[in-house]
Amino acid sequence: MVWLRIDPITRKRFERFRRIKRGYYSFLILLAAMVLSVFAPYLAESRALIVWHQGLPYFPTFEYYTMDTFAQDPPPAWGMGDLETEYLRLQREWRLEGFLYDRELGEMGSSPDALSALDAKYPNHGSFVVMPAIPWDPYQSDFWSNEILNEVDLLLEAGDSEGAEHLARRDGLEELADVIYSGEVRALIADPGRSPTGDLKGLARTGAMPSIAGLGVVPPNAPGWNRRHYLGTDSQGRDVASRLLYGFRISIFFALFLTIFSQVVGTVIGSVQGYVGGRFDIVSQRVLEVLLSIPFLYVVIIMAALFQPSFWLLLGIMALFQWIGITFFMRTEMYREKTREYCLAARSYGASHLRIIFRHLLPNALTPLVTFTPFAVVAAIFSLTALDYLGYGLPAPTPSWGELIDQALQIENRDKLWLTFAPFGALTITLVLVVFIGESVREAFDPKQYAKYE
Amino acid sequence: MTQNASGGGSSPESTAGGGAGSALQGGDALLQVRGLRMHYPVRGGVLGGRIGSIRAVDGVSFSLRKGETLGLVGESGCGKSTLARALTRLETPTAGRVLFEGKDIASASGAELFRLRREIQMIFQDPYSSLNPRMTVGEIIREPLAVHRLGTKEEQLGKVRDLLETVGLGADMVGRYPHEFSGGQRQRIGVARALALDPKLVIADEPVSALDVSVQSQVLNLMVRLQRERGLTYVFITHDLSVVEHVSDTVAIMYLGRIVEQGPVDQIFRSPAHPYTRALLEAIPVPDPRQRKDEAPVKGETPSPVSPPPGCPFHPRCHHAIAECRSTVPELEVMETSGADPAHAHTAACIRRHEI
Ligand SMILES: Nc1ncnc2c1ncn2[C@@H]1O[C@H](COP(=O)(O)OP(=O)(O)O)[C@@H](O)[C@H]1O
Ligand code: SF4
Ligand SMILES: [Mg+2]
Repeated sequence: MVWLRIDPITRKRFERFRRIKRGYYSFLILLAAMVLSVFAPYLAESRALIVWHQGLPYFPTFEYYTMDTFAQDPPPAWGMGDLETEYLRLQREWRLEGFLYDRELGEMGSSPDALSALDAKYPNHGSFVVMPAIPWDPYQSDFWSNEILNEVDLLLEAGDSEGAEHLARRDGLEELADVIYSGEVRALIADPGRSPTGDLKGLARTGAMPSIAGLGVVPPNAPGWNRRHYLGTDSQGRDVASRLLYGFRISIFFALFLTIFSQVVGTVIGSVQGYVGGRFDIVSQRVLEVLLSIPFLYVVIIMAALFQPSFWLLLGIMALFQWIGITFFMRTEMYREKTREYCLAARSYGASHLRIIFRHLLPNALTPLVTFTPFAVVAAIFSLTALDYLGYGLPAPTPSWGELIDQALQIENRDKLWLTFAPFGALTITLVLVVFIGESVREAFDPKQYAKYE
Repeated sequence: MTQNASGGGSSPESTAGGGAGSALQGGDALLQVRGLRMHYPVRGGVLGGRIGSIRAVDGVSFSLRKGETLGLVGESGCGKSTLARALTRLETPTAGRVLFEGKDIASASGAELFRLRREIQMIFQDPYSSLNPRMTVGEIIREPLAVHRLGTKEEQLGKVRDLLETVGLGADMVGRYPHEFSGGQRQRIGVARALALDPKLVIADEPVSALDVSVQSQVLNLMVRLQRERGLTYVFITHDLSVVEHVSDTVAIMYLGRIVEQGPVDQIFRSPAHPYTRALLEAIPVPDPRQRKDEAPVKGETPSPVSPPPGCPFHPRCHHAIAECRSTVPELEVMETSGADPAHAHTAACIRRHEI
């Protein structure tokens, strides 16, 4: 109870921290990012947030809806409707219905008969789907860019130009859809100057129709608004933005767990060393130095060979090494604080060891720990990233920054700059924010600033 | 009291006590210190083995009557604070006894030590580090009461207010934090904390050295008044002889972990026997230069307590040193000027104490 109350020194420090704008805003941004990452399933997810279907709301985040629920056609290979709805496709299909409804309404005029005929033809024209900001979950592959022109081509070859136009329209290829609708597409792809292969793919490759110029290529695909891959996709067609976000989520929680664990353990052991002192301190210090000299990476490699690395295993291995550094801080802090006269006073009236440690020493000794924390967190993020990069980190499909960096540095991806910029940008921004925070905390907690001598 | 009876002058630790120590047999003495030694190990090597020792306190004996003040004087580093820590059992002495009302603090433990701690409190030198900056003044003064579970919380708070009034701070200061006070006020808080348990003996380790001269006398006056009102017994440690003159009944001069001269305050000031005491007195600034005594100031540096000089520890700096001083360790011996009262005997540890 007593040490929960904020004493004036601490309050002053917090106030000063708030006044150092750069650090304070960095802190708010990083905090917001952490909070946001907790809500990642609502930010980056292939399930819709809300589906409004024929006057009823649905919330797919909380419940499983099959394709049959919304009368969505299953993919050709499956042919049955008990799969989970593909919400991004559903959103596009319903938008298409709305577009066709309006277009035919314009052509037919709004007689009551025509209206009811249109309502029957396009029953979903009033329904809509609200997707999360990033409509991709981090594991989902998207080969659309590679396949869409093939599909339209197939329909055109089969003579179904209405189907082809609808498909192009559904997926936001307005220019292509208009050309098919007007019938000019045959002339275009028949021109060998524009399409050497005589199909849409050739048309895309020559760049004769700019709006489809980037299509027909295998992932990684460049950033684009159409499929809402804001940062492009990786080699397996997974959304980079989504993987960044989930990767941040995993590493920030990894870092927080690791920091909290190592600070608690390091504080307890370091405090005992410093408080007890003497031979116990010297001997235990030697033991810790031996522990510290074990090369961390070898241990991880050996462990990774024996066990499948998991979040908790990695956390355990890293925690094994991380707390040792904390003990050095706490040990010296306790050594210094315990010789202060207020501590001698407490001992002289017979205060118990626990009372001295918890009421007197720790509140005064924890300051360096606080200033150290932002850097500990960022160090933990970076260690996990490095391990993932080296391949000893979290197992394969787990979204991670290190794995993204690894992809970016593959020879064949050297020209796919978005793969490089996304993880390195994220790392850089995080690092800069944390450095700003750490620097401001250090400044705000600087004892020279508040000490008053008269 | 039983321990007291067995601890006469013949016990091996009390050799340095000399005649004065053995003459004092309990009775009216509140505190009797016998042959107190505090040696710190000098450690080295990977596992911290002992490679030598610092003799911070090296055989100190004295007695103190209830209600009186012993002024303990010496240069910085002579072991005054170490002695204070040993008297309050903040550290366990290497050897010797500290008899408080006949009970040995140096060897007490557990519940007995806890009870003894109530009787002996300490006032510290540095008003800035002696108060926990994260506790309110009320909490600081109340904590001793809480540790010893004296009274209900309300009673304790009432006592804290009384104490604040007693030391000249308002009772409404309970909620303030130490950094809101000046050095002199902080030292008053330290005094209030020391008095919270109603101790019989207060060890004040340079309580005013860190304060402005103008504030020093206020705190000294407060301490003198409290002593009168509450019948306190003080061990008043200082490196400043002029402070001691005002507050002490007896004075002990320390040099390199030992007491070199001891006696009633007026005798020490009027007829100092030990060359070191004379040098210290000489160093007190006097307004009239014609009153200066003719003792030459001490030469050189204080030797290290790790390897104190053989014979008289003061001989490398003494103007009166003779060959014998290098080999013979002088013990405290009673001066012929000494009065009959054993607690107020005038003793000095100098071979040539009668000649110079
Ligand atoms: N805990 C300790 N460990 C080792 N040496 C100490 C310790 N405390 C004091 N000393 C040494 O003992 C001597 C006396 O110190 P101290 O009692 O603080 O002197 P004073 O208070 O008279 O200035 C000094 O030489 C000091 O270095
Ligand atoms: S014993 Fe000798 S050296 Fe020591 S104080 Fe006396 S005269 Fe000086
Ligand atoms: Mg001292």
